[in-house]
Amino acid sequence: MNQIPLLTLLVFFPLAGAFLLLFLIRWERTTRFIALSIGLVETFFACSALFCRSLPLSTTTPKGFFLFKDLPWIETLGIRYTLGMDGISLLLVILTALVTVIAMLVSWRSITERVALHYLLLLAMESGIMGVFLSLDLFLFYLFWELMLIPMFFLIGIWGHDRNIYSAVKFFLYTLFGSLLMLAAIIGIYLIHGSQSGNYSFSLSALTGTHFSYATGLWLYAAFLLAFAVKFPIVPLHTWLPDAHTDAPTAGSVILAGLLLKTGAYGLIRFGYPLFPEAAGTLTPLLIMLAVTGIIYASWVAFAQKDMKRLVAYSSVGHMGFVALGIAVWTPVALSGAVLQMVNHGLTTTALFALVGMLDERTHSRRIEDYGGLWGKIPLFSAFFVLFAMASAGLPGLNNFVGEFLILAGSFKTYHIATVIAFIGVILPLVYTVRLIQEVIFQEERRPFPMADINLREMSILVCLAACDLYIGLHPAPLLEILKTPVALLTGGTP
Amino acid sequence: MTTTDIIIAAPMMLLAVGALLTLLIGAVTRNDTVSAMIGVASTLAAAFLLLKTPPALIAPTLGLSAEGLPCLFGVFFALLSAGVLCLSSGYNRERGIGGEEYPAAVLFTAFGMLALSSATNLLTLFLGLEAMSFGFYILVAIDLKRSTSGETGLKYLLPGAFSTAFLAFGIALLYSVSGSLSIHEALRITLTNGTHDPIALAGWACLLAGVAFKLSLAPAHLWTPDVYQGAPAPVTAFLSGGSKAAAILLLLLLLPQATDTNVLRVPLWGLAFLSILVGNLAALLQNRVRRMLAYSSIAQMGYVVIALLSGRGGGYQAAAYYAIVYGAISLAAFGAIAVLERNGCGETVEEYSGLGSRQPFASGVLALSLFALAGIPPTAGFTGKFLIFTAAIRSGEIALAVIGILLAAVSLFYYLKVVVSLYFKHSGIHDNTAGPNYPEYIVLTVASAAILLLGLWPNALIGLLSNLLP
Repeated sequence: MNQIPLLTLLVFFPLAGAFLLLFLIRWERTTRFIALSIGLVETFFACSALFCRSLPLSTTTPKGFFLFKDLPWIETLGIRYTLGMDGISLLLVILTALVTVIAMLVSWRSITERVALHYLLLLAMESGIMGVFLSLDLFLFYLFWELMLIPMFFLIGIWGHDRNIYSAVKFFLYTLFGSLLMLAAIIGIYLIHGSQSGNYSFSLSALTGTHFSYATGLWLYAAFLLAFAVKFPIVPLHTWLPDAHTDAPTAGSVILAGLLLKTGAYGLIRFGYPLFPEAAGTLTPLLIMLAVTGIIYASWVAFAQKDMKRLVAYSSVGHMGFVALGIAVWTPVALSGAVLQMVNHGLTTTALFALVGMLDERTHSRRIEDYGGLWGKIPLFSAFFVLFAMASAGLPGLNNFVGEFLILAGSFKTYHIATVIAFIGVILPLVYTVRLIQEVIFQEERRPFPMADINLREMSILVCLAACDLYIGLHPAPLLEILKTPVALLTGGTP
Repeated sequence: MTTTDIIIAAPMMLLAVGALLTLLIGAVTRNDTVSAMIGVASTLAAAFLLLKTPPALIAPTLGLSAEGLPCLFGVFFALLSAGVLCLSSGYNRERGIGGEEYPAAVLFTAFGMLALSSATNLLTLFLGLEAMSFGFYILVAIDLKRSTSGETGLKYLLPGAFSTAFLAFGIALLYSVSGSLSIHEALRITLTNGTHDPIALAGWACLLAGVAFKLSLAPAHLWTPDVYQGAPAPVTAFLSGGSKAAAILLLLLLLPQATDTNVLRVPLWGLAFLSILVGNLAALLQNRVRRMLAYSSIAQMGYVVIALLSGRGGGYQAAAYYAIVYGAISLAAFGAIAVLERNGCGETVEEYSGLGSRQPFASGVLALSLFALAGIPPTAGFTGKFLIFTAAIRSGEIALAVIGILLAAVSLFYYLKVVVSLYFKHSGIHDNTAGPNYPEYIVLTVASAAILLLGLWPNALIGLLSNLLP
């Protein structure tokens, strides 16, 4: 398989597509179809990586990875073009391809201005996110990490509503502030490792195991943690998220919640813990405390929201709190749970944002108090709404339950009190979700909006996501099997 | 005069002859296009000659050399002036700036830059710098039809003359201590380890003060915003990209030859800190795009001083790299502004509203250069800042590096303000203004390509620089 540069293709195929759209910017209708077909081909590439797991490996491939690409890039500084895929990246890459296609379908009708530019930015962002999930060189990772911000900034700013400019700038400044400090830390590790070993390199495998003095390690790790925590978002740094989600166009919210939040968690798993095991251990109690606070606080705030998109946004903060807990505990079970929960949250939140977007498209209102009685008027939509809301609340048999269960089961052994408090966090979403369903779907109709039930395009989005949700909920074993080796290697066990 | 002398001086002579030729032909034909074309032709020919010059030639009698660094920067200056000339034709026609003296002044300025870059002698260095400054005194005030033009010219001339006096005095003091005009000798004697001659220190203080004016480092930055705002846009591009690079090069010709630059650490630290602080914070308050870019250039030069400060840790290479990158960014940014202003755009950020859809090409280039100035990957601005911070941390200037990084985050806010105006805001105007003309297209495309290529494949330039500088 190494003859076909699948990893390079995964990263740069969408970007090439975006470049193609640049020349077709005047044919707005065609660009939709071209972009969608590029997205679908990319999804095909992503899924084909599933079948590369059993291929023979070359000797240079690091342990746990089954696809690996390493080429010299900026040799004078020891920067290499290193991409690699293990089980964790595999799941996230497939999620990225899928969610991007859904984001394209969701904005099929709602985007009427500068259509080509919209799809161009979606594809460019897909490239950036793929790059983040596949890079194994810190410099390359940082490049993609910042690259994915720019399309999102424009998506929120150009097609957003209400306070779009405020939200776009806030999003950009928050995330960039965190990542600039990470840049300083990356340079710091590079120089420390270089002066210790004489080999100036940004490659993750070389830098892992660099020895730092206690204080230096702590500072460097704190800079990494800050960058990842902003993206995550972990609670005191989350305030950009509700604004950005609410004011973004539906496709923007879908990608933001479905994918961008995962990059923070992924960065912590791939880079934060392996590079600074000692410092990460020291800060674990802090991270757990913040994660648990986030779970409770976000659910609490979600309960008070009047805007549906804002409610879903706060529920995201809560769910990502579980992921943070799973990572902080760093046991095999909790970590697999965290990765699985990243995928689950990506699927469920995407569906919820898509559903809210569909309602918004029909009635131009996202206020909960405007709705009611949808069950009688648009039964298909309502059925999906209930399904995904329940999945988000963690109903057994649906996907989120599996992730949350694994995280809690994995963390109880070591952190009793935190886990017990987090258990409350499992119940709270049920409270606001049931309230949401009751008010929007079942209550008497409050404003007589004329609306049609979902069409074929919307149906295909929802059926696809529902199938994934049910599959993971009922039969998570294949996914856990994929995660087993990389998680075992990361947590220091034997695969 | 030997053959070597002629080979080394040929590119400079070509530019000087070109300048005279444009003046002569202009007097006969009165056709601006012809003189502009002669100008572009002589700059490109000079760049070509420089590339063909066998490296490592030295002409001691002239005080010139054709080593790698002078050649590299010579090509950069020649190409930059060609770009400026291409940008000017449409802009000058619109503004009614006519006459053959414009290309002649640009060529003469380029001549000064080339002389400066190949100097091995303090006197040649000073003469080159002065020739360059003279060209700029004319260019900045060349728009005679605008009432502010004279004011701008004066605001550049007076601090410029002041700084020249400082430089000349500094050089004289260094000469009096070392007894030699050769840069190598003068540096070896005046910047040694151990105790320093107080007169040599005074000389260095004067020299740094003069360079601080030219580089517009705080606290010697006050002329910058007015000049950036008042000069014609292509001239501002030249001033920002060219004269700053020349001043950086001046320090790069001097500092690496010193045995120990530790004595300069404190003043350079202060200049760098003040410049990034004042530049970034003052830029936040600006409402006019050009003034904002002027303060941003003060901050950017502060980052270059951080690199010079951490010279031995790769900082000299970083400074040279950033000088070239900043030239490309200046050309792109002010070139785009020239196109926008030519089509009737105003000065304030509000007046840039909605240009993203009315002038997609120029706005795209401006947005790209603003992202490059902010140091967002994959632009060359990011790679340059990365090299600078790496050098600073390696040399132990961690405090300055962290302050610089934090202020870079602050800087993003004012760069984004313009991008927001370009793309997110709508103006009521729906006229279909003309796009850029062909020379502008070419220059802006080449400059943007340089910004991206130097960002993504900096290997060649970094490799070259690491051979040329310690």
